[in-house]
Amino acid sequence: MQEPEKVLEIRSVDRSFGGLRALKEVSLHVNRGEIFGLVGPNGSGKTTIVNSVTGFYPPDKGDILFEGRSIKGMAPHRVARLGIARTFQNLALFRGMSVLDNILVGRHIHMHPSALAALFYWVWAEREELRHRDIVEETIDFLQLQDVRDTPIEIVPLGLQKRIELARALVSEPRMLILDEPMAGMNQEEKEYMARFILDAREERGLTVLLIEHHMDVVSALCDRMTVLSYGEQIAGGKPAEALSNPRVIEAYLGTKGREHAA
Amino acid sequence: MLYRLAGIRHTTYRSARQLFPIPFDRKLLGFVILLGVAAPFYLSPLHLNSYLLPWVIWTTAALGLNLLMGWAGQVHLGYAAVMAIGAYAAIHATRFGLPLEAALLVGGLASSVIGLAFGAAALRVKGLYLAVTTLAMQSIVDWTIVHVPAISGGSQATLQAPTLRLFGLPIETDAGRYWYALGLCAIVTVFLLNVSRTSFGRALVAVREKDFAAAIIGVSPFKFKLLAFWCSSFIGGVTGAILAFCYYRAITPEQFHLEVSIQVVAMVIVGGLGSVLGSYFGAGLVLLAPIFLNNWVASLASALNLSLQTDVLSQIPLVLYGGLIVGFLLFEPLGLAKIYDNVRNYFLVWPFRHAR
Ligand SMILES: Nc1ncnc2c1ncn2[C@@H]1O[C@H](COP(=O)(O)OP(=O)(O)O)[C@@H](O)[C@H]1O
Ligand SMILES: [Mg+2]
Repeated sequence: MQEPEKVLEIRSVDRSFGGLRALKEVSLHVNRGEIFGLVGPNGSGKTTIVNSVTGFYPPDKGDILFEGRSIKGMAPHRVARLGIARTFQNLALFRGMSVLDNILVGRHIHMHPSALAALFYWVWAEREELRHRDIVEETIDFLQLQDVRDTPIEIVPLGLQKRIELARALVSEPRMLILDEPMAGMNQEEKEYMARFILDAREERGLTVLLIEHHMDVVSALCDRMTVLSYGEQIAGGKPAEALSNPRVIEAYLGTKGREHAA
Repeated sequence: MLYRLAGIRHTTYRSARQLFPIPFDRKLLGFVILLGVAAPFYLSPLHLNSYLLPWVIWTTAALGLNLLMGWAGQVHLGYAAVMAIGAYAAIHATRFGLPLEAALLVGGLASSVIGLAFGAAALRVKGLYLAVTTLAMQSIVDWTIVHVPAISGGSQATLQAPTLRLFGLPIETDAGRYWYALGLCAIVTVFLLNVSRTSFGRALVAVREKDFAAAIIGVSPFKFKLLAFWCSSFIGGVTGAILAFCYYRAITPEQFHLEVSIQVVAMVIVGGLGSVLGSYFGAGLVLLAPIFLNNWVASLASALNLSLQTDVLSQIPLVLYGGLIVGFLLFEPLGLAKIYDNVRNYFLVWPFRHAR
C-alpha cells in the first residue's frame, strides 16, 4: 500500500500569550483527502492552532509544513495563495456587500484586481468578472444559496452566514480547507446540512479538511482521524472511536461540561 | 408608479451587473447628463462660473477622497494639500513646456507619490494617529509651498495658470472650461461606479470591513490600503490642477489650506461614505449652503440693525461644516445618498409596501 501524502504537518508547535502557554508541543499531520478532527473544550487551543497555520499567530517554537514546505511565519495573504482556505469561529463576512460580492471576493487570488481595469471596465474587466461569476454560481448552487444571492449580508440569518463563509472559502479552490467550529450555534437540521456539504465538498473537490469542533457527535460522524486537546496539550488521538473512549478525554469533557453548566 | 420595478427580470449575469439595471434610472440619468452638458446654453455666466463649475470640480475632488474614506475606510484630513501638490506641479510643468494633458499627469503623479509616502507612514499607525499623520501632511505641504518661492511663485505668492488647452488648442471660453472640468468629473465618476463591481473595489471594502478576513482570502491589507492612497491622491492631484486651470486661474497657498480639507471631508460625509451619487449631493450642499446662510445672516443682521464684522461672517461656513459633519455622523451616517435611497426604494415598489 502507498504511504499517504501529508498535506499539512504541524511539528512540536508551541505558542504562548503572555504567561499563558496556549499550545504545548502540539504535533499532528493531515493526509490528502482526509477529514481530520481537532477537538477539545473551549479554550483548549484549537483556534490558536488554526491561527498559527494561517499566519496570524506564528508559533514560538516548532514548524508548520504545507505540502512539504515550511509556512511558519508566512503572512496570512501568502498562505492563502498556497491553497489554504479557512472559515472563522465568529463569522467574518464583509458588511456593506451583498452575499454574491462576499463570495466573489473569495476569487481574489484568481483575479487581477487593478484600478485601471476598473476605469476601462468594458475592455479589461467585464469578461473576467463574468467568467468568475460563472464559477461562483456553481458554488452558490452547490450550497443552495440562490435565494439570498442579492441580499445584503447584514440581513442574512446566522445559520446561512456560516454557509456563505464556507462558499467564500470554497470558491478560492483551496486544496486544504480549515473549518473553525462551522456548526456553532446551529440547530440540528442546519448541522446536518452543513455536515452533508462538508462531505460533498471533499468528495467532489478532493479537498483535505481540518475540522475544528467541540460537538462529539459531529466529529465522530465526519472525521477519519482526530486529535483531542486540553489546555494546549494533546491528550489523545487516532480514530474517533479510540480517541473518544480514552479516559483522559472523558475526564476533560465531563470536567468542562460541569464548568459550562456552572457558567 | 415612478419606477415600476415589476416585470424587470434579468436573464444574463451581464445585464444583472449593469451599472443601472432599472430602465427608469437610465432615462433619468440620460436626462441629467443632457442638462449637465447643455448647461452653458441656458445658464447665465454668473451661475455657470460661480455655482455649477465649482460644484463639478469639488464633486470630482469629493469622489477622489471618497475612494479613500468610503471604500477603503481611511481618514484623510489633508486632501487639500494633495490637491495643492497637483495644482502647483501641473502649472510648473506647463510653464516648463509640457502639453496640458501631460502636465495633468505630472500633477497627478506628484500628488500620488507624495500622498503615498505619507500614506505608507500613516498606515503604520491606526485610527486617530492616521488622522493626525494626514494632518501633518497638510501642514508640511502648506509650509513648503509658502516658504519655497520657486513653488509658490515669488513674493506675491500668486501663481498664474497658463491657458487651458486641449490637444494644444487654447480654450478661452467659460463653456469650454466648464466642459473640460465636466469631462474629468465624468471619467472619475465612471471609474468609481466601476470600482464597486470589480475585484479591486471588493478587495478595498473587504480590507475596510475586516482586514484579517480579507488577508485569509489572499488580499494583502497593506497593499490595498496603499493602492487606495495612490489612486485617491492621483485623482486629487489632477482635480487640483483642473481647479487651478479652469476655476481659479491664478493660485495662492490659502486656496489649499486646512479649511479646504475639512470642506472636502464634509462633502464626503454629508453626501455619504462610499456613494458616488452622494459625492454629488455632498459637494452641492457644502458649497451652496454657506452662500445661502451667509446671505441670510447678512440680511438678518441688516434687518436688526446689527453690524457684523466680516471675520465673523467668514467663520460661518466652517461652523456650518462642523455642524453638518457631526449632524450626519449622528443621525444619518450614510449621508444624503441614503436619504435619497430610502425615498427611491419607497417609490420602487409603490403603491405596495412590501419588498421586491
Ligand atoms: N490573542 C490572544 N491573546 C491572549 N490570549 C489568547 C489569544 N488567543 C487565544 N488566547 C488564549 O489561548 C487559549 C486558547 O484559546 P483558543 O485557541 O481560542 O481556544 P479554543 O479555540 O480551543 O476555544 C485561551 O486560554 C485563550 O484565552
Ligand atoms: Mg476556538
